Amino acid sequence: MIEFEAVSRSYGSTEAVKQLDLIVQPGELFALLGHNGAGKTTTIKMLVGLLRPGRGSIAIDGFDVARTPREAAQRVGYVPDEPHLYDKLSGREFLSFVANMHGLRAGTADAALAAQIERFGLGSFVDQLTESYSHGMKQRTVFAAAMLHDPRVLVVDEPLVGLDPHSIRLVKDLLKAHSQRGATVFMSTHTLTAAEELADRIGVMHRGELIFLGTLEELREQRHVVGGSLESLYLSLVDERGKPTPESPSP
Amino acid sequence: MLGAADEARLMRRLRYQTVRAQLKQVLTTARLRTGLVILLSVLFWIALFAMFYFGLEFLVKHVGPVGDQYHAQTIEFIFHLFFASLNVMLIFSAGIILYSGLFASEETRFLLTQPLRPERIVQHKLQEATLFSSWGFFLLASPLTIAYGLVAEAPWHYYALIGPLILAFVYIPSGIGAAACLLLIRYLSHLRLTVAALVASLAVGAAGWAIWETVRTPQAELFGAEWFNDTLRRFRFTQSEMLPSSWLSNALLDAASPPPTIPLPLDQTPAVRALMFLALLVSNALVCQLVVVTIAKRTFRRAFSELECRPRAPRRAGLTTIDRVAGWLFRPFPAPVQLILMKDWRLLRRDPVQWSQFLIFFGLLGLYFLNINRFSAPGSNLNHTAWINTVSFLNLGVVGLILSTFTTRFIYPMISLEGRRFWILGLLPVSRRTILWSKFLFAALGSLGPCGLLILTSDLVLGVDPLVVGVHQFTMMLLCVGLAGLAVGLGAAMPDFRESSPSKIAAGFGGTLNLVLSATYISLIVLLTALPCHLYLVAQGSGLNVRFLEGSRLIGWLIGGAVTALLLATVTTIVPLRRGIRAFNQLEFY
Repeated sequence: MIEFEAVSRSYGSTEAVKQLDLIVQPGELFALLGHNGAGKTTTIKMLVGLLRPGRGSIAIDGFDVARTPREAAQRVGYVPDEPHLYDKLSGREFLSFVANMHGLRAGTADAALAAQIERFGLGSFVDQLTESYSHGMKQRTVFAAAMLHDPRVLVVDEPLVGLDPHSIRLVKDLLKAHSQRGATVFMSTHTLTAAEELADRIGVMHRGELIFLGTLEELREQRHVVGGSLESLYLSLVDERGKPTPESPSP
Repeated sequence: MLGAADEARLMRRLRYQTVRAQLKQVLTTARLRTGLVILLSVLFWIALFAMFYFGLEFLVKHVGPVGDQYHAQTIEFIFHLFFASLNVMLIFSAGIILYSGLFASEETRFLLTQPLRPERIVQHKLQEATLFSSWGFFLLASPLTIAYGLVAEAPWHYYALIGPLILAFVYIPSGIGAAACLLLIRYLSHLRLTVAALVASLAVGAAGWAIWETVRTPQAELFGAEWFNDTLRRFRFTQSEMLPSSWLSNALLDAASPPPTIPLPLDQTPAVRALMFLALLVSNALVCQLVVVTIAKRTFRRAFSELECRPRAPRRAGLTTIDRVAGWLFRPFPAPVQLILMKDWRLLRRDPVQWSQFLIFFGLLGLYFLNINRFSAPGSNLNHTAWINTVSFLNLGVVGLILSTFTTRFIYPMISLEGRRFWILGLLPVSRRTILWSKFLFAALGSLGPCGLLILTSDLVLGVDPLVVGVHQFTMMLLCVGLAGLAVGLGAAMPDFRESSPSKIAAGFGGTLNLVLSATYISLIVLLTALPCHLYLVAQGSGLNVRFLEGSRLIGWLIGGAVTALLLATVTTIVPLRRGIRAFNQLEFY
């Protein structure tokens, strides 16, 4: 479970996230939407322990990410939008490093590696140095690494960018299946069709504030629209709040 | 979760795997480059060793034999000053390298999302910072200490102690740099640049003042007894017992001392004293490690977050006066060339990493040239003329060599880097030939100004013959044009569009080839123009009557050398550029 409690974070005088209160339950697939600079990336960075909340607290399965970052990280699988891999390690060596980092014993780690290599179709290139991988291959390798320790919470930032249609289907199925097995999935995306297809609940951020939180049906009710697509609903919601500010220079 | 020992083992294995893969790759795909780098490093080491060895021999002959009071004072002075200076430099370089490793690295971002102790990440990066900041120290300290051992006929244990002493020593300034870096970012992240600039300015200012005080003595008193004593007094602070550099110097000097001829208490014997200094260095290095770990544990995650969330004002990009001046200078060229020149100029101007290195190196050279007459021999005899001319031509060679490193580092990768954004230029109605010629003009004109000015300064301060001034300006022009042609031509003939880092492109095979060819070209051009001019002036000044040095023959040598140099420069400029244009025209971009 993920719990944001009155979380705020500023970049100087610019408040990137304002008083965020949010609980994402186990078994739930949550999609965070918003324009560039809305505060999604800052929210995710706080969630995975890269940034500390300026105010408030974030807990993963009860572990505060600022006070007990290792315990929280142990329960998280994280797929960033721009994955980092060690150029001079093969995919297998990288996966093995991550598995060991999460404390998987030799036999368990080997089995987990084999399962994820099979699942993400890494077999044909997993023993090559990652410097030769395409973006899609890197993304699949990072997904495999994030899933090795069967995380209670999976955090994915723009999971579908740069993937081919087969990989997109694979990732969508994975996210759905992982949440159905009782894990919490937190996804940030601009791909509204994917959010519409996958998410149990949706959050819309605008200028650092969560301006909507609920299901697609609840959004339709709020906007008094019958059967509208998430794209049209999202655009009308955000446009009503005023044009988004240009993306801030924050990371 | 992993225990600390398992974590350490895992990070060691990560390091081992990455280094092994890197080495394997280097040995299989870049043998020539690796061989050249090793060969040049060995040659550089041998040259340094020879310089130190003959310098120390000079001391034995002209100051006093080993054991003599003046000799001991001089050696103490050299060792303490040398290691104290490097001590300060190591603090800065380790701090700066660690800063970039911890706060601007994708690896750190990844590691911070893993269940890893923050102090382990800092230690992992500190190992890299220590290695990268101290390799230069090893390169300088090893020939000096070995040369001293040979000159002083040191016992075997001196050589055995060099390695452990240096290793223990470098960890102390690295640890201090690391602790300072972490505390600075944690508590003064918004002032980090100001604080770093202030401390660096103070250090440079203090060093500059000390050097100025040392060399400003009137010419007649320079290197005299009083000057020597004054200099010793001025730098006495480098021998403070509190400095790790003093422990290292004392340990080396003690270890090199011969065994005592009279019985002494065990702790007074030189070998035991050297071991005690080693113990002092090791224990302090361990304390530094403990301090860094403690600070890292308490501050690193928070410091990383604070730095990431610092306010960042977007840079405004307007037309400055300097842009207008550049635009005016580019006016004689056709419009497309002007546009490309202006674009390259703006990219250079807005990237301080590029021009600041240029400024530092050429600034230091300028300072050296302005003070060079202080070391010239007085009088106007044959030796003096020969000395002045030799130094002036050496200066020319040095400026050329430094320029070649810049053309390799900054000009050679320009086409490779352009490849990634080639669609911008590719969609404009500009031929690829024009693009390449624009790069060449940019490099040649950009280097001619500062290099010509530097050489003019050197010549005027040395007071060389007007003929030499003219020959030097001519030579400098040939060097700038030839080096620019080589770098642009080879860069276009051997581009690397997959690499986005200019330093990595420059370190590749093409970059190494460019550097080697540039060094060869500089040597040939300087020899072709310098040697006849040098002989001509020597013969004129001495009135020697040797057939080989007859006036008419020498003028022939002079003109022949200049014409050959001009031909060589033309070939060196045109051939690589034509090859580059041909290859560039056939390239397919993605």
